[in-house]
Amino acid sequence: MNQAVQIGLRLSVCGGMRRKCLGPWLAALGAIGAASESASAQTAFTLPAPPFELPMVPSVSGNWTVMVGVGGEYKPNFEGASRSMFSPVPIFSIRRAGSAEQFRGPRDSASIALVDFGDLRAGPAGKFVSSRKANDYSELNGLGDVKTAFELGGFVEYYPVDWFRTRVEVREGVVGHHGTVADFSGDFIVPVIRWLTFSVGPRFTWESTQATSSYFGIDAMQAMASGLPVFNAKGGAHSYGAGAQVSYRINPQWEVHSYVEYERLLADAANSPLVTLRGSPNQTTVGVGASYSFDFRIR
Amino acid sequence: MAFASFATVVVLAVSVSGCANFANGETKLQAVKTVGIVSAVGDQMSFATAGLTGLNNSTQSFQIGSWGLDDLIVQQATTALNGRFQVQPVSYNRSAFAAIKDSPVAAVNLVRGDPFKKLVQTEVSPQGLDAYIVITKAKSNFGGGGRKVEGIGFITYGTLLSSHNQIHALYEIRVFDGKTFEVIEKRAAAPLENSGTMNLTGPSQLVDETFAPTIGDLSRNEKLHGAITDLIVHSLPSTLSDMHLADVR
Repeated sequence: MNQAVQIGLRLSVCGGMRRKCLGPWLAALGAIGAASESASAQTAFTLPAPPFELPMVPSVSGNWTVMVGVGGEYKPNFEGASRSMFSPVPIFSIRRAGSAEQFRGPRDSASIALVDFGDLRAGPAGKFVSSRKANDYSELNGLGDVKTAFELGGFVEYYPVDWFRTRVEVREGVVGHHGTVADFSGDFIVPVIRWLTFSVGPRFTWESTQATSSYFGIDAMQAMASGLPVFNAKGGAHSYGAGAQVSYRINPQWEVHSYVEYERLLADAANSPLVTLRGSPNQTTVGVGASYSFDFRIR
Repeated sequence: MAFASFATVVVLAVSVSGCANFANGETKLQAVKTVGIVSAVGDQMSFATAGLTGLNNSTQSFQIGSWGLDDLIVQQATTALNGRFQVQPVSYNRSAFAAIKDSPVAAVNLVRGDPFKKLVQTEVSPQGLDAYIVITKAKSNFGGGGRKVEGIGFITYGTLLSSHNQIHALYEIRVFDGKTFEVIEKRAAAPLENSGTMNLTGPSQLVDETFAPTIGDLSRNEKLHGAITDLIVHSLPSTLSDMHLADVR
């Protein structure tokens, strides 16, 4: 039960190539945590016990660890773009004190493990996909805006051994586009020394026509306005690639990490005139970040 | 405006009813005078390898009942609680309590309620005390992968360049109302404050190779026995204090 709470409160701060991070409000939370001057491996502060407890809801009493930090991502301006830019990414998570931070890939969506056998975990997953504004980049002129989307679905991950994770996410657009997206990944997780971990593995994404066409299709109106040819983007294999990340815990409070994710667009995503004439099928994201952890207690 | 007024009324109503019906554990404990203590933590010790394990992902378990850890826990808890409560000895079916496992499906745990409730009613005597304190194994994730460990254990964590050993005593404490058998308070023992980042939710400690058990003579490994005992002795009073059961801090 406590495990469910811990995972439930853990928030995703990283996103995929196109599916950007939801984060400004997390930045505010992060700032609150960062303001704690007494943060250390010991309990930074103690909050009073809640005035009442609800039946069937796990107690919040106990020790908690808050992690706050900031990172940056250098990634394509939009999915299929040939140019990239650097943007800040806030980091925030909260979990039961002492609990191991489960391995996370940079592409993982926010998720909650409602089924947890240890080596096999499953539950709901969701991803926020920020809007794509035509006015933001000259390559998109005439293509119109793509609305913010929110994808909901589920994930299953399996560890055949401690050092290898496989994960599948299937999500359906519930706001914005209404297509289906399936992400497959594998990660070899290699602890080099006690506090230094390196991971690397392959990636593959499948998308339905509705999910692909929102970003890569060009209708007659858009063609006239943009000067690009009409293109009817269909779904299917969307991309393959690989990712690697390294994290180093300097001490119980400070951790630094870095990652790189490469994605090669496939099929109609790669064949869209937006990509062939104004962009690139090669999509690379590089991220770095640093985080600070502190404990607090709820009596 | 009307909505704001309505919302205020709803919030107040929920708060008031919440306070009336769902008082916190500290409040409920004020009426408790007599308690019995059940412990089912120390029958087995697990040996796990984590991190770079090769293809061996198995965990082995060995009997350590001869160490008398459960008797130690009852004795330590009795000492800590005696100032506030009248602790009465109880007899119970230890193996029945030790056999209870959480379901890996969160919804099942939510629906079926606390699995120890029925055992406290049927496997503990005498009945009729104000409360029963039940101390059982807790579970924790370990490492970045999917490994879970529980209760008393020894972990060898392998990395590319080195390895380290860690012992743990993971347990949780429930307080059951002696009349309704509802859980008044529940808390898992927290990591010891000087343990640094151990990646476990409960008491644990790094140990060197000399603590490593040799299979076959585990019950005679007094160094390991002593280290596990220390973990329990140092963590139990503070956990009971966190639960408002003892004033030892």
